[in-house]
Amino acid sequence: MTDTPAAPIIGRDAVARAELVEILVRTGDEDRAAFRDLYIRTNAKLFGICLRICGEREAAADVLHDVYLTVWKRAGAYEPSRASPITWLATIARNRAIDWRRANGTRRSAPIEEAPELVDAAPLASDALIADEEAHSLHRCLEELDGNQRESIRTAFFQGVTYAELAERLSVPLGTMKSWVRRGLARLRECLEA
Amino acid sequence: MTDIRTPDDLPDVTAAELALGVLEGEERAVALRRVLAEPGFAQSVETWREYFGQLFAVWPEAAAPDGVFERIERSIDALHGVVPPSRGIWPAVAGLMSVAAVGLLVFVVARPPQAPLPVPAPSVVATQPLLVASIAPTAKGAAIAAVYDPARGVLRLTTAEAPAARRSAELWVIGADKTPHSLGLLTPGGATRVTPAPAIRRQLAAGATLAVTIEPEGGSPTGAPTGPIVLKGDLTAV
Repeated sequence: MTDTPAAPIIGRDAVARAELVEILVRTGDEDRAAFRDLYIRTNAKLFGICLRICGEREAAADVLHDVYLTVWKRAGAYEPSRASPITWLATIARNRAIDWRRANGTRRSAPIEEAPELVDAAPLASDALIADEEAHSLHRCLEELDGNQRESIRTAFFQGVTYAELAERLSVPLGTMKSWVRRGLARLRECLEA
Repeated sequence: MTDIRTPDDLPDVTAAELALGVLEGEERAVALRRVLAEPGFAQSVETWREYFGQLFAVWPEAAAPDGVFERIERSIDALHGVVPPSRGIWPAVAGLMSVAAVGLLVFVVARPPQAPLPVPAPSVVATQPLLVASIAPTAKGAAIAAVYDPARGVLRLTTAEAPAARRSAELWVIGADKTPHSLGLLTPGGATRVTPAPAIRRQLAAGATLAVTIEPEGGSPTGAPTGPIVLKGDLTAV
């Protein structure tokens, strides 16, 4: 939350987002040129998601292939009014990567890297793909949680892991982990709905 | 807040837990069934997905390896019936089948949501009994019939009523693992033929439930049911 918290939807970011909506909608009309443009603009974000969750480049590339094939087939169902384009795309990537990891039964105790260092990192107000008035509300609410609650929820999101895996990674009993996450989510709900 | 209490004392945040992806096994299955049964719960899960989606802005990027886009394009060509040059593991197969059949095989491997075309079936002797289900409406409308041939791995369904505009009817199996797995979309205005992936085929057994939900056009974007359940029935061996 550095320079422009809750910036109005104007300028470069909004233009980039509008363009992304447009090429996603055109992809839904089976426009191959739009699809190529979509890939160029979003592959680094989506591959980053697949790579972190799968933990290996080859598998992540296979998942990425499936993700874009899914995008090609389902872009026609994308509704700009319901979801930001990058959230729609990234959710597909995250779910596919998690499906792969669970299907392959890998429970890596040593992921390729730790979760992104978000505690002090600015939530990238300059990120051209997500920029709207609400983009910072979750970040703000996460900051209000206790450290254990925040770290557990962030780790769950960025590594795509279940309660059991979370408990193992953070070396706490399962009951403690569920308590942290559930209390954290309950407080998030209050904050987000406030 | 490091005290340990029993889960029963904790607030109900199941929708958030499902959207976050921390649930597994029976807990996840129960939550997925609630998505089917409770529209309010399904909406809550969607809302949480949007909240968590804000975190994607800070997800570190990594350029995809070279060649992935070309692979994607070849797969799309295969979806649309453009026959790719035989390569990799396919030449041996191609030697045995017509070029068109290879195109179909790639089409099936890519598992499109709807696979209305017949599949070159492996020559397996049909020793397993067929499974049938009458999939009846939960509210109004007409039932449809399903027949699954385990030997060939083919599920066929009779024509269902078409969903509303910009909506798709998606078929799910809820089997031994109690978790809904998508079997793809029902063909609008016609019979449906599905050849599920091996992992999903394991769920298609006597006693498993087949269910149809109404999803956004193209099917559930999340991989799990999001819309109301409109048809339901159990598989029986015959």
